[in-house]
Amino acid sequence: MALAVAGPWFAPHDITAPRTAPYASPGPGTPLGGDQIGRDVLSRVLVGGRDLVLASLVVAAAVTGTAAVLGAAAALRPRFGAVLDRVADTVILLPAVLGVLVVGLSVPGSGRLPVVVTAVVLGIPFAARVTAAAAAPIAATGYVETAQAAGESLFSLVWREILPNLRATLLTLLGLRFAAAVGVVATAGFLQIGAQPPAADWALMIGENSDGVLLNPLAVLVPSAAIALLAVGVNLACDIAAARWRPKAVRGR
Amino acid sequence: MASLTRRRMLQAGAAAVTAWAAGGCTPEGTPASAPTGPPRNGGTLRVGAIGKAAAIVRDPFGVQPNDSDYLILSLLYDTVTIPAKSPLVAPRLATRWEAGEDLRTWRFTLAENVAFHDGSPCTAEDVAWSVRRLRQSEAGTSRLPGIDVSGIRAEGPRTLVIESRYPNSRIPLLLRLTTFVQKKGTTDPAGAPGTGPFELDWFRDGNARLVRNDNWFGGEVHLDAIEVRMFDRTASMVNAVLTGEIDLASNAGAVAARTAGKRDGVQVVRRPDDTAHYVVMRTSDGPFADPRVREAVKLAVDRKALVDQAISGYGKPANDILGTGDPCYAKDIPQRERNIDRARKLLDEAGFDRSRSYQLLTTEEIPGMAESATLLANQLQEAGVKIDVRKQDQATFLGASRGKAPLYTSFYGTQDSVVFCAGKLLVSESKLNEAAWHDPAFDAAYQQVVSTADDKRGAQLSHDLQQVQHERSGLLVWGAADGIDLASDKVGGLPDLPGYGRVQLERAWLSG
Amino acid sequence: MIPHRTTRVLGQLTRRVVTLVALLAITFFAVEVLPGDAVVSSLSQDASDAEFAARRAALGLDQPVLARFWHWIAGVFSGDLGTTARGQHIADLVLGRLPQTMLLGGTALVVTVLAALALGSLCVLRPGGRADRAIAGTAMVALALPEFAVATALVVVFAIWLRVLPAATGTAATSPVALVLPVIALALPQIGWNTRVVRAAFGEQLGTPHVDAAVLDGLSRRRILTHYLLPGAAPTIAAAAATSVGMVLGGAVTIEAIFNFPGLGSVLIDAVQHRDAPLVAAVVALTGALITVVLIGCDAVRAWAGGGR
Repeated sequence: MALAVAGPWFAPHDITAPRTAPYASPGPGTPLGGDQIGRDVLSRVLVGGRDLVLASLVVAAAVTGTAAVLGAAAALRPRFGAVLDRVADTVILLPAVLGVLVVGLSVPGSGRLPVVVTAVVLGIPFAARVTAAAAAPIAATGYVETAQAAGESLFSLVWREILPNLRATLLTLLGLRFAAAVGVVATAGFLQIGAQPPAADWALMIGENSDGVLLNPLAVLVPSAAIALLAVGVNLACDIAAARWRPKAVRGR
Repeated sequence: MASLTRRRMLQAGAAAVTAWAAGGCTPEGTPASAPTGPPRNGGTLRVGAIGKAAAIVRDPFGVQPNDSDYLILSLLYDTVTIPAKSPLVAPRLATRWEAGEDLRTWRFTLAENVAFHDGSPCTAEDVAWSVRRLRQSEAGTSRLPGIDVSGIRAEGPRTLVIESRYPNSRIPLLLRLTTFVQKKGTTDPAGAPGTGPFELDWFRDGNARLVRNDNWFGGEVHLDAIEVRMFDRTASMVNAVLTGEIDLASNAGAVAARTAGKRDGVQVVRRPDDTAHYVVMRTSDGPFADPRVREAVKLAVDRKALVDQAISGYGKPANDILGTGDPCYAKDIPQRERNIDRARKLLDEAGFDRSRSYQLLTTEEIPGMAESATLLANQLQEAGVKIDVRKQDQATFLGASRGKAPLYTSFYGTQDSVVFCAGKLLVSESKLNEAAWHDPAFDAAYQQVVSTADDKRGAQLSHDLQQVQHERSGLLVWGAADGIDLASDKVGGLPDLPGYGRVQLERAWLSG
Repeated sequence: MIPHRTTRVLGQLTRRVVTLVALLAITFFAVEVLPGDAVVSSLSQDASDAEFAARRAALGLDQPVLARFWHWIAGVFSGDLGTTARGQHIADLVLGRLPQTMLLGGTALVVTVLAALALGSLCVLRPGGRADRAIAGTAMVALALPEFAVATALVVVFAIWLRVLPAATGTAATSPVALVLPVIALALPQIGWNTRVVRAAFGEQLGTPHVDAAVLDGLSRRRILTHYLLPGAAPTIAAAAATSVGMVLGGAVTIEAIFNFPGLGSVLIDAVQHRDAPLVAAVVALTGALITVVLIGCDAVRAWAGGGR
């Protein structure tokens, strides 16, 4: 992930100008060979991760954050929980990729924003269901009920009583949402929605270089591996962090 | 070999009228590494072609966006004439043709013993009915320009008469594409009987199986059957031919050719001058209306680099003239080379605003097009012209940009005739006048060239036409891409014609 | 108790149908705002303005949006999905491809559930053991892999380098062998996801008193698995599998494109690119209907397991 963010500073070549033949095999100056018009694959891999990471991070954080608040509120207010359930039931009928495909193409030329917004909107209901389920036992604990009886506002209940006890769940959720976000944003990129050529973008690279996969497999395989590594890495980190938080969460109960 | 000789003879007959098109220019060709020996009979050829499910059009009189549909139709239905190398038109349903003194009334004599797949004879009435129907279709006026419905009629059982509103030496050329013939009065054109070398066995979701028409008037057909498989994406089609799931991948592109070059058992068929790649600069208004700016842009690009990088070198640099495959293509006009200094000077003279950036619109319609836009942006940057590449989806591009935007990439797939391209894309009244170009000298040259029957004079006029286009038009034609088919090395008799000539699979055969 | 359960099941059924209609409405109007126009991309570039107007009128595009929506939704329930911008009957185009996508997605889903159950069971045999950790780790990697990346790698390795499996499926005469690579590509990320869920659900059941009691009773592992763990974990597993249906159908969009598979996904890409609003709406509607059916099945599993919310 650090590589993805810092990568652009290490790119040896201009990412738009050709350096070698299209789909050239690795050679001097281009250790990963050339892409579809002979641009340096290494430079494009180094540059092409940052936007994907940022977009996925924004999606994962927005989904997890919103879902945490909504889920906690749903646990405290069953009627709101029922509404959330209905919305989740509807949204689950529209696979995120389909939604992004439709929305992304309806506002062409506007970059990643529509993709990010759609991914967030379609991701929240399901994630909120997870947090609501995790928050329900906490909401039923004596001290939360006491606080509620003492007339504490919904906001402060969510913020002070529920969320701190959801840390482990939220971190795991964040990791999974990140993996899912990478999947959606990358699939959109592969279908050329969001990221636009000539921008360097891992998913876009897989899509646009797939015609020449036999000439220079690295132009496709390296960005594929980068995407997988990224999602796995963040997931793993969140899992480890969640494991560290868990004992405290249990004590909190 | 008998059929080949016969074809030559027929061509010789037609040459009397169309010979000037060859006008002393020599055609080019590339040999394909196909199996040797006499053609073998039998076998089923599995052909892959690009097509989209939602765009399937089975009506031969409609507009077929799918390669796969056009291929199927071309094997089922014969056209009046067909594309050829030199001269540019060869006989098919019509065996010979001649024009009246004024070049307006054309008489096409049809072949004898032509029968539809159901056994009924095909007469001039059927041919005239079909051509009229094409003329009445949505694209009829652009496919048969200058010809009215009332100007298409049968004269006796074997003569088709075409009357043009103005003298036009190019009528046989106009009839070489899409003049598919069905039986007079056919109400449901999808899958209706034709006269072509193959008959329809079945059609499913864009895929079809066609079986040999043993009674085809055009000669012996070697294959038992052809199976056409529709592919969404070139990459899947290329994979299929590399893994032997199909025998022929039609129009697979340069990258596929390089990929196949590393594989045994796959031959690459190169068909030179298949597609012209160009940039359109709007001439009527906007930043490129000044001819000096257009000249500067034309000087700022590195055509060799574009051909090498965008189409992997499978093609050749072009000289801002369409119709690169025409035997009369003016090779003596000096190639416009890159000259950044001169480009900058011209831009300064024209007072071109180099502080702002200009949108170059593109889409992914054919391989190399979107790639060329990225490269062009880089190259123009070196002359101080800032370009912002904006890639659109095809619908938006065709609807809102093509023919309207001040700067965009484009292509034209039929490169066998300078005059044909001029009539379609460059003269003032052409419907597809992409650069909104109105040049009286060019229009006059065009009118003269189509209304002359004299070979030598025709060649000279064609040269003038190209000179004007090279100097002033709004099209920066940077390259002529080869058409590329991939085939198993068992396939022989494949066509090497550019453009739609690629569908002439009636002579193909399979060795073992 | 029985009437109560029946009303509950009926209530759930109604709810599913209502949400489906809501989705249809959202889809139709979302597609309405797409700029560009199907007419433009369906006619040849040199058609005249009059021809455009005629085509527009023929397609009913000159009618108000609400009238068109009403017409469309009435048609959906009578099996008439309208015509594409080019005048093809959508029902012909789409219904022929629906079974193909169901075959591909259904196979992928069955493979997913079986693999996830098998792997999850392996994990729970010895929680924290070597197999458990290896499977959990691999599952995490698998769920993070986008389908298109898996598919591309599979094609390169198995179809083109090793030449053992076909790369392009495509015709109606698809052999089962042709399904292998697309199914793997589609199922792999879902197996990762579902294995995690199965493992967690089994783990949760392990901690419950009645399972503890069964273990103390010395029942065989297999019996504990099938009679104690599975029923308790079934609702969670079914819910996860139901979520996977949407993911599989979403993944099918890229997988069908890569393998030239004649399903709904490739139609959808074309339709969106050509601004063919009725076709996009039809594909999304069918996808939604398909998921609805699976969700109803999932509701049934929950009712059977005696769970429910």
